[in-house]
Amino acid sequence: MKGFDLLAVLTHPQFSQMLLSGMKMTLIIALGSWILAMSLGFILLVIRMLPLKAADQAVAAYVSYHRNVPTLVQLMLWYFGIANILPNGLQAWLGEHNGEAIFAIVGLGLCQAAYFSEDLRSGFRSIPPGQDEAARALGHSYLGAMAYVLLPQAFRHALPALINHTVSLFKNSSLAMAIGVAELTHAVKEVENLSFRVFEAYLIATSIYLACSLLLMAIGAWLSRDPATMEAS
Amino acid sequence: MIQFSHVNKFYGSYQALVDVNATVNKGEVVVVCGPSGSGKSTLIRTVNRLEPIQSGQVLFDGQNIHADLKSTELNRLRARIGFVFQNFNLFPHLSVLENIMLSPVRVNAIKRFDASQTAMRLLDRVGLAHKAKAYPAQLSGGQQQRVAIARALAMEPPVMLFDEPTSSLDPEMVGEVLAVIRSLAADGMTMMCVTHEMNFARDVADCVWFMDAGKILEIGAPADFFSNPQHPRAQRFLSDLHVR
Amino acid sequence: MLSNMIAIIEDNWLLLLIGQYPNGPLGGIISTLILSVLGIVLAFPLSVLIALARLSRWKLLNWPATALVYIVRGVPLLMLILWVYFLVPLLIGDSVPGFVTMLCTLVIYEGAFLSEIVRGGIIALPTGQMDAARALGHSQFGAMRYVILPQALYNMMPSILSQFVSTIKETTLGYVINVPELTFAASQLNNRLLTKPFEIFAILAIVYFIVCWSLSELANQLEKRIIKQRLGEDQTGMGSLQHGSPQTQGAT
Repeated sequence: MKGFDLLAVLTHPQFSQMLLSGMKMTLIIALGSWILAMSLGFILLVIRMLPLKAADQAVAAYVSYHRNVPTLVQLMLWYFGIANILPNGLQAWLGEHNGEAIFAIVGLGLCQAAYFSEDLRSGFRSIPPGQDEAARALGHSYLGAMAYVLLPQAFRHALPALINHTVSLFKNSSLAMAIGVAELTHAVKEVENLSFRVFEAYLIATSIYLACSLLLMAIGAWLSRDPATMEAS
Repeated sequence: MIQFSHVNKFYGSYQALVDVNATVNKGEVVVVCGPSGSGKSTLIRTVNRLEPIQSGQVLFDGQNIHADLKSTELNRLRARIGFVFQNFNLFPHLSVLENIMLSPVRVNAIKRFDASQTAMRLLDRVGLAHKAKAYPAQLSGGQQQRVAIARALAMEPPVMLFDEPTSSLDPEMVGEVLAVIRSLAADGMTMMCVTHEMNFARDVADCVWFMDAGKILEIGAPADFFSNPQHPRAQRFLSDLHVR
Repeated sequence: MLSNMIAIIEDNWLLLLIGQYPNGPLGGIISTLILSVLGIVLAFPLSVLIALARLSRWKLLNWPATALVYIVRGVPLLMLILWVYFLVPLLIGDSVPGFVTMLCTLVIYEGAFLSEIVRGGIIALPTGQMDAARALGHSQFGAMRYVILPQALYNMMPSILSQFVSTIKETTLGYVINVPELTFAASQLNNRLLTKPFEIFAILAIVYFIVCWSLSELANQLEKRIIKQRLGEDQTGMGSLQHGSPQTQGAT
């Protein structure tokens, strides 16, 4: 092994380029799947609130599947399995448009949606029933009570869990490497193979991951800092 | 037996105890009374250093418990001071008998057999021998507090401290707990008791301390204190209670 | 499709169960379960130590423990696996099997996450418990050992079981460094059959689902039981943790 030299990796044009594009891909996957997961999480929550037993059970089954099957296996099922039974035209299109990344975003997003919808649901359940009654008694409509009284409280209760699951979504973006997406962990392996600077490469990637995760945790702590945020959110 | 001298205690900038000076003699029963937030519970908790103080001394048997003690020395002193809490604080994962035996066995290294004999004798004394195998949650509040007293007595302390022992009990259970404390007083146990039970104080106490705003404002025999309080604050306190 | 899946299971159940054993290393779901059980069992004592260190007022204990927990919470498990894969052979001067690499990683990872559970369980206990133990003369250690930890760990049993489910799911990452376990076996099978990837990975997902779902349900039932006991505690103003004791007559 060569002597420790961070700059040998950081200032090397090819290696730094690989790391940078890996980081970009990690952010794309994390952000894309987060948006998908959050939107779908809300939709699942709304479906679950419908007075339909079948809808409730369907969402419960969705949540149960995504929480009890390892995320990596879900990704493999998408990329190796489901990709294979899609129509040929779609397969070809995906092949030309970075299908790995699309499957990673879809797989991670659908999986995390289950967690987000459960977080939001328990947020709603922790609101005392008197809150809804009080809002309605003051003359708010259903939507008004929802928007001004219930949602802000539910969101606040759910915030710590949502932040935790956002951090784990971000960390899980590294699983995309296993289906061949050139994200940060993948890039690090490449740099390691080309430069033989294992320690430096790992240290850089670890620092980037850690910095982003700590930033997310800090944002979470800031958002839930005091009850005043309840009105602000 | 217990001596407070120039005790000052702060929570941040709020002064909870202000230059407290008083003495509990051997065999004496002292009742501490006063309005809520007057510092009574804080004061009694300084005796076994559950609350630290910022200046002054609290002597127990001539030993300053707030001195720079080794933790083993502090534990040895605490083991000799019986303490009964407002919320009982029985250990919910242990049966009644195990609650009483735990500390004699683990702290005083008493043999399990001897400890269980003592525990049963004490349970009998507080009238709960038949509950030895029950768990705390299966007991009423009054029963839990009697077990807590037996647990403290099992360490054979020369002094017992009671921090509002009946305040979280339903009214019909207050009597059974006070009866146990009365019997201890009759046996000559040295006791310090924070309570709102003024009839109990009048009957049992040798000495009443009246506290307000972190200060001891009046110390007197119960007969004098209840019929002829000196401090205006004490007069108002007693007239509010309608016990004169 | 379903008949395909049944045929695949009929032909290859042994591979999915124990991998290539006895002709190769033990693998399949047996290896997954051994890895998970060892991981959580070894992580548990570590997690208690980390939790106690984090609760300690002594900076020399508190700081490294806090740093460890934050690093593990902030870095992907995959990255941690790569680190262990790289560092352990350097430290002991010899290469180690993937199984051991994965086990070491899991112990560190789960140790940190479990420590947060244990710490939460300790903090959640009423302060009166510590006060009462100290007032009876127990040392800090004695109070922890005999009064605080038994209660905290009992209350935390459902969370610990959930963490075990997470551990099972995390063993799949061993696939990346070729640890012989269930996901690796499925992937081997896929490489051999080539034409049935959907069926194979669907079987894989179903197997994980059955194992993890059953354990999650067990955790839920356990949690319900413990919450029920805790509600009994609120009525009497005191905790209740009967260890399967016979119901004696209730309050007078």
